[in-house]
Amino acid sequence: MTAAMEKWRAPGELLGWASEYTSGRGTYVWNNKIYASVVGIEVVSQPPVAAETKGPLIEVVGGKRHGAVPEPGLVVTGKVGKVTGKTASVEIVCVGSRVVKEKFSGIVRQQDVRATEIDKVEMYNCFRPGDIIKAEVLSLGDARSYFLTTAKNELGVVSATSVAGAKMVPVSWQEMMCPITSQKELRKVAKVV
Amino acid sequence: MALEFISPEGLRLDGRRPAEIRQLRANLGVIDKADGSATFEMGNTKVIAAVYGPHEVQNRSQQLLDQALVKCEYSMANFSTGDRRRKQKGDRRSVEISLVIRQSMEAAIMTHLLPRTQIDIFVHVLQADGGTRSACINAASLALADAGIPMRDIVASCASGYLNNTPLLDLNYLEDSGGGPDVTIALLPKLDKITLLQMDAKLPLEMFEKVFELGNKGCVAIANYMRNVLLENTKDLAFARGVVKV
Repeated sequence: MTAAMEKWRAPGELLGWASEYTSGRGTYVWNNKIYASVVGIEVVSQPPVAAETKGPLIEVVGGKRHGAVPEPGLVVTGKVGKVTGKTASVEIVCVGSRVVKEKFSGIVRQQDVRATEIDKVEMYNCFRPGDIIKAEVLSLGDARSYFLTTAKNELGVVSATSVAGAKMVPVSWQEMMCPITSQKELRKVAKVV
Repeated sequence: MALEFISPEGLRLDGRRPAEIRQLRANLGVIDKADGSATFEMGNTKVIAAVYGPHEVQNRSQQLLDQALVKCEYSMANFSTGDRRRKQKGDRRSVEISLVIRQSMEAAIMTHLLPRTQIDIFVHVLQADGGTRSACINAASLALADAGIPMRDIVASCASGYLNNTPLLDLNYLEDSGGGPDVTIALLPKLDKITLLQMDAKLPLEMFEKVFELGNKGCVAIANYMRNVLLENTKDLAFARGVVKV
């Protein structure tokens, strides 16, 4: 990309007709015209083949990136807080590979811990406060927190500290072992790939 | 005898022509912690604005399920006026100006794209010399654009008045307290839409049209300046980050 080719846009600038282009990120359509809604460079590219697209995709990119926000279907990393008989609360620190800017809270409910024998789950034998877990966002949840699930092989506890204070190593999908005392503790262990 | 606001040569108290705005100066990204920030100067009036968000709603009962919650707080520094005085927060004047700024920004922000979030706008007057509400709206608009919040258009604001049988653009403090009408306009220039129109005192309709037209032109001029500042700043940032090469 060279400096001469770039088209810099500020909010409100007219980009083209909605009948000739497809409106993308950083743009909006008003009165059949496409306008920029953020500051950045205008980028015109071919639209994805799917859907009824009218023409080249027009976008305005290069402004500030917003912090990551959990969305249903994404894998998040979090730290376990309070564990009760029915739920475990999680403080989300990463969405995918991106660190979040502000705090998001999630909960793993008893029925979302694993895929099988969901009625026999004992929360205390799956998570302990301080564990680092990987979980998938199930839904936006209630007013307080996102609903998370660990009901997949690759989801669950990825890092945990034993009673003795050492970082434990996984031995099975249900157990982790302390390297100092060789004591086994129960967890819903993630199969890290 | 009433003060003479325009000399026989046709110059105002500060040496401007009737349809001339004061010198503009703007800076972006002046506050490190904020998501977006800007200072805006119109002559001797200087304001600073900070935008935080979009973030989660602090007070859950205020959360809006289909759009973003916009909050605005206007305040004046104790040293901003000629006589130093301690002003308590939340007096009638600042509550009204907060509301006015919030409403005119809300008209531009695409709030429906950011449901269940909150956007905080803080504006602080550092130096007051008339037209603080216009300067605050301009600063807030730049700060929002700096934060990368999607907007329909940038909001530009300008005041105009009518003194000594002449429409005047961008009143300073002396002209503001001259007793004439004071018309504040906020404009979405590219869409040609008004988001704020305020007037104190009375004015005959034909005079109002002239004053309004003048204020409108002032807004367009200010908008052009703001647009250039925004583009220059974003270009500098992009070069600094190595997104684009010179």
